This record gives sequence, structure tokens and C-alpha cells, in this order.
Amino acid sequence: MLRIGAALIALLPLTAHAQYPQKAVEMTVLFGGSSATIAQVLADALSKELGVPVAAVSRTGAGGAVGYSFVRSSPPNGYTIVWNSNSISTVFHSGNIDFDYRAFEPVARIGMEVPALAVRTDSGWTALEDFAAAARSRRMRVGISGRGSFVHLVSAALFETMGIDVVYVPYGQGTAPAELLGRRVDAALQWPSQFKAQVDAKQLRVLAVTSPARIPVLPDVPTAKEQGFDVDLVMWRGLAAPRGTPKEVVARLEAAARRVVASPRFKELSAKLGFEPAFLPASEFGVLVARDDAAIASLMTELGLKKR
Amino acid sequence: MIAEALSPATLAATAAGSVVGLVFGAIPGLTFSMALALMMPFTFGMAPVPAIAMLFAVYSGGMTGGAVSAVLLGIPGTPSSAATVFDGYQLARRGEASLALGAAVIASAFGGLFSLLVMMLLVEQVASFAIRFGPAEIFALVLFGLSTICGLAERSMLRGLIAGVLGLMVMTIGLDEIDGVPRLTFGTVQLQQGVNMLVAMIGLFAVPQVITTFLERRATLSPWPGEVTAEFPWRRLRGYWWLMLRSSTIGTIVGAIPGTGGPIAAFLAYDHARRFSARPEAYGTGELGGIVAPESANNAVMGGALIPMLSLGIPGDPATAVILGGLLIHGLQPGPLFVQSNASLVYALYLTIVVSWVIILLVQIWGIRLFVRVLRVPPHVLGVCILVLCAIGSYAIRNAVFDVYLMAIIGVLGYLLQRLRIPLAPVVLGLVLGPTLEQQYRTALILSEGSHRIFFESPFAVTFFALTAAIVGWQIWSSTRRRPRTR
Repeated sequence: MLRIGAALIALLPLTAHAQYPQKAVEMTVLFGGSSATIAQVLADALSKELGVPVAAVSRTGAGGAVGYSFVRSSPPNGYTIVWNSNSISTVFHSGNIDFDYRAFEPVARIGMEVPALAVRTDSGWTALEDFAAAARSRRMRVGISGRGSFVHLVSAALFETMGIDVVYVPYGQGTAPAELLGRRVDAALQWPSQFKAQVDAKQLRVLAVTSPARIPVLPDVPTAKEQGFDVDLVMWRGLAAPRGTPKEVVARLEAAARRVVASPRFKELSAKLGFEPAFLPASEFGVLVARDDAAIASLMTELGLKKR
Repeated sequence: MIAEALSPATLAATAAGSVVGLVFGAIPGLTFSMALALMMPFTFGMAPVPAIAMLFAVYSGGMTGGAVSAVLLGIPGTPSSAATVFDGYQLARRGEASLALGAAVIASAFGGLFSLLVMMLLVEQVASFAIRFGPAEIFALVLFGLSTICGLAERSMLRGLIAGVLGLMVMTIGLDEIDGVPRLTFGTVQLQQGVNMLVAMIGLFAVPQVITTFLERRATLSPWPGEVTAEFPWRRLRGYWWLMLRSSTIGTIVGAIPGTGGPIAAFLAYDHARRFSARPEAYGTGELGGIVAPESANNAVMGGALIPMLSLGIPGDPATAVILGGLLIHGLQPGPLFVQSNASLVYALYLTIVVSWVIILLVQIWGIRLFVRVLRVPPHVLGVCILVLCAIGSYAIRNAVFDVYLMAIIGVLGYLLQRLRIPLAPVVLGLVLGPTLEQQYRTALILSEGSHRIFFESPFAVTFFALTAAIVGWQIWSSTRRRPRTR
């Protein structure tokens, strides 16, 4: 529907060589759930900044492969951009697409999401060390999203550092917290917003987050590093355009994104969705993407998940 | 609370949501999940009550709208209304389209309001019951659902089983949900995303029908009666209230279990209705119970799905995940403390759901007169319109042209199956149940580290296995008893 609308707008007469943007911009969204909601908030705010409609169009499936392939094969004119994340690295290294992050021009990092490890309050564990001690006497079951997903990699890195071996149970559609409450898994590594309500109700306890510093959503939860397990893995979310998109177009998008992320309204809505706005300009974002890709590649090699 | 729920802004938002939902639900390919995502940005600037009321209204409207195209065109508007096609379309062909649509909308409202009542009174009880359904229990429930092939196989059980397996096989295409391994993708990215259930359904229901219309010109030149009456079916529904209540209960429970959803509930309710009917043979030929059961069940799923969402903060399906996003945007964090700490807001929202059902009933009952005029369109013209509509719908589901081709290919295959007298209903059942069946089975085995004991340690799972065995056993027994006579 949005595309039909976008196509209609595209039919409006254009003045020759006018400045970007002249017509609706389509932002491909690769996943559902909270990432899609924040994408809609962003698209809405970008529309106001750019003065043209920015449509968040969902192209989910195959761990992001479908959406990335679509954007990559679109004309590099700034009218097709992608709401991307570390999934560009996981989906490439798991062998499901034949191009990597270099097929895209980085535009800007918009924010971060930090994985959190939660257990039931009645387990009695209050720190990672308690969990590790218990895991040495019996094999723990840990709920994650799909195998090879970013949270799987993060949990593998964390438990490797802790020196324990666990069973990874993959759940789709964000049902891992329910399985934790249902006592079928011992812990779950997911996004903080998924645990927030149960943490407030004292049913679940978050043992650690995997960022270098504590996060605003869970200020009382220590990082893994604070507890002596050196893990620094954070998911970034940002915008990218197909490779070859003109520099001035990228700069225009980057400037718009900068203003959106700085706006109080975007900060307020992000906080409610458990998303941490953290703007990075295109150049620094590009460096970050490349650095994370290398880290994910070596991690996936260690775990035997790297297929390419 | 009442003032907020009945304020002009909330009423307007509810009305707009209901109508948008109905339209999206009624058009094959445009689903209410899509409508929810589209309406979302409009809610950003609204006050919490009208914003959430609008999202709820889209959900209920969309679920109800699905029946319109199921009855009139024989194509489910949403996957949840696939089971409504079997009897709804047959009724329409007999000239009783308005009866079918009237029954569908009344059953829908009944199911929706029933599940709302359950949600208001028993939130915590239902949530703590639903959370006991893990992968092993859901697998057993879905396997039980698969045994309904026995009822959908029409004349030949062998052909029914072939059809069911074909449906299951189609759903294995793509990246598997657990390990991310590509299956039957021939190295293409497009097939990695798998076959979308609704794309396959549109192909299977619409294309064979259109091909038949064009090939067998004489036979279908006047399949529709000239006059379609618009009478209201209160009297005809008299014997169905008890069925509505049972189907709504099925829908509410299935909806409350995360990871199941509307299509599964609708099929379970349909089979339940047929099995306990005095005239099971009438099902599939235009029996009113075949509309009442799936429609009350799939609408009851909404209240059911909202139970874990509101009380645990866990969305059970993509539609409730969008609604959860809408709540979060307005600073409302559903969870164990949500209903208590926001009692007045929650009750205002409940009231808006009632309002949305009143609006849906009014619009639908008024609309029936209008909708049935579709049947006055000559079949050949209608056939072309249906094809165009299906192409647009298939594209819109995932914004992919590939899906349009896929719909056409599956449709032609569906036509060939029909010519081979292989029934299509079990194929649809396979599509609906296949992904859940596989995923839950494998997750259960990962949980148990490979031991099948997990399936026999749970009383729920064992109960469903026993029911499945009983149905299959009864089917074999009754067919061996019948065979000597027919041969």
C-alpha cells in the first residue's frame, strides 16, 4: 500500500536537476517487533525533516536477506534506504547472501540496543557468578532468538568467557520471556524492553547487560564487564543506502537523521520503546560497521556458524 | 473512564479503525497486521485511549472483514478466515450470501465480546494456564489439529493425505526457523523467505476458480441466482448459540497460547463443529455451523491473544506485537502490574472494544446489502477482477513481485490438483499447521536434549495425543467397516 502511495507521489511532475529529495523515500525494514516500531517513529520524524514522505516498508524474512537484497539492487539515488543493523554481518557470514556491508553506503547510526540476560527471581541467582556456579553442576537451558542471530552470538560469547556450556533454545516471535516464566528455560538473553514489565513486578531479574557501560533502561543492572567477564557486544541500528549513492544525498540524509536523533520527541519515544538513541555520523558509523563485522566474523568462526 | 472511552475523539478513532480494519480484512492480501502497521504512525500524536482504541478496532474489524471475501469470492481475506470459505462460499453459490455474511458477522461479534469478557474476568487465570503450554504441548495441540484432515479429505482418505502432505511440504521451503539452513531454495534469495501462507492461500482458492470459470464456459455461465435477498438471520441462528459459545472458548484459549493464532483456532473450531454436528456430512456443502464456528473462534482469538500481551507483556502473534508497540509508544508498559496500576485506562479500553463491535455490527449489517451486489457481476468479469485483486494483494503482503508469480504458480498447481480430484482443503490445513508443527517439535527436542520423553511427561500433551489417536483410530475403523458395502 505504501509503495502504491509512493509510486503515485513519484508520478508528480519533477523539475529538472532539482535538489534531493523530490519524491517519497522508501525505508526498508527487515524485522518486525520493536525494531519495526522504532523504524516507524524514525520514518515519521524523517518525513518532517526532509519534507517528503518517508515510508517504512516491511521486507522481512530470511534473517534480513530479503530486505538487504532488495535495497542493494535498487538504484543508488537515495530514494531507497535500509534500516539496518549488525544483521548485515550475521546474515552474510551465515552464508545466506553473497554481499556484505560493503554493498552499502553508511548514512548514520541512530541508536543501540543492548542484550540482557534474565533469570527468574525465585532462582535465587543475583549475579553472573551465581549462574556460572549453578551451570557447572547442571547444564542450563538458555532461551535466545534464532540460531545464528545476534543474541545467539552474544550469549555464546558471554558463556564462553564465563567458561560454561549451555543448551541454546531458539524461540521466534519474542516468546523467550514467556518460556522463562513458564519454567522451561533457566535464563533468556533478549532485549531489555522484553523483560521490563516482569522486572518491575519482581518476577524476573536481569543479571547483566553486555554493553561497556550500564544502560538507562536498567540503571541498577551491572554490565558483564563489571562482574569480571569481558564482553562488549551491542547491536547498533542505523541507516544505509545502496553503494554508489551520491555523497550530497547521503549528507542530506545524515543531516536529517542527526536532527531527528537530537530532538526531544524522538528521545522520549525511544525511551518508551527501550531503544537508546546514539547518533554517529556516516564516516564514524562506517568504521564501526567494519569493526563489528570483523568481530562477528571471528566469533562466528569460533562457534562454527561461519559458512562464508 | 466512561467519559474518556465515549469522547468524540475516541469514538471517531474507533470508527475509523473499525472501517479501515474491515476494508483491509475484506481484501485478500491486505491483512489486518498490515492495517495495524499503517495506522500506527497516526497514533503517535494521539492521546493514549483513542490511539489504542483505534488499534484494537483495526484488529477486530480486520478479523471480521476476512469473512466477506471468503463468503462472496471464495478467497479468504485473512488466513484466519480460510476455514470459513468451505461452507460460506457454498452458501453464497446457493443464493444465501446474505445469510452467510449475517451469520459470520454475528458469530464474529459474539466471539469477540465473549473473549473480551474472559479477558476482563479471568486475565490472570488464563495467562497462568496459557504459560504452561510449551513447545511439547503446542506440538501435541497442532498434531491434534492435523488429525482434522480426516474430516476435510472428502471422499478419499488417500487423496486427502496426499493433499495434507503437499501443504506441509510447501511450508518447508525457505530458511528453516531454527537453524537458518536454506531448504529447497535453489540458491535464490527470494525462496529463502519461504512461501507466505496467505500468498499460497490466495493462489489455491482464487486461481483454480477463475480458470474453471473461463474453461467451462457453459457450466458456470449462470451459477448465481438472479436475486440475492438481504434478510437478517436471527431466526436461522437459533440452533447455533451453544456452538458459538464452544467455538469462542476454543478461540480464546488458542489465542492465549503464544505462538499459535487465528488460523489454527479457526480450523480446530470448524472440525469441532463438524464432529459434534447431527449432520456432519452437510459440512462443506453450505452448513451454517461451518461459518459460525470458525468466525466466532477467530474473533475470540483477539481477546485471547491480548491476555498474555496485557498481563505478561508478551505478544502472541505479529498483530499483538504491533499493538504492544502502540502501548509502549504511549508510555504504557503491559505486564503483571499493568491492569492494577492502570485500572481506569484498561477499563476505558475494554469499553472501546465494545464500542468497536457495535460499530462493526452496524457497518457490516448495513454493508451486506452492498457487498452481495458483487454477485450480480457476470462471472467472467468478476474472474478478471479477482485475478487483478489477487495480484495486487500478493504483492502487498511482502512488497515483492516474486510473490505474484508464486501465487500464480501455486494457483495453477491447485487447479491441476483439483482436476486430479485431490481436495484443496487439506493442503490449506498443511499450510496453516506446518510451520508451527515443525518448529514446536524441534524446539521441544532441543529443550529435552533430544529425548522424546518430553512429549509424554506433560499431561496436556498426552491428552492431545490420545485425542489424536482416537480420531485417527475411529477414522480407520469406520472406513474399514464401510468399504465392503461400497465395493
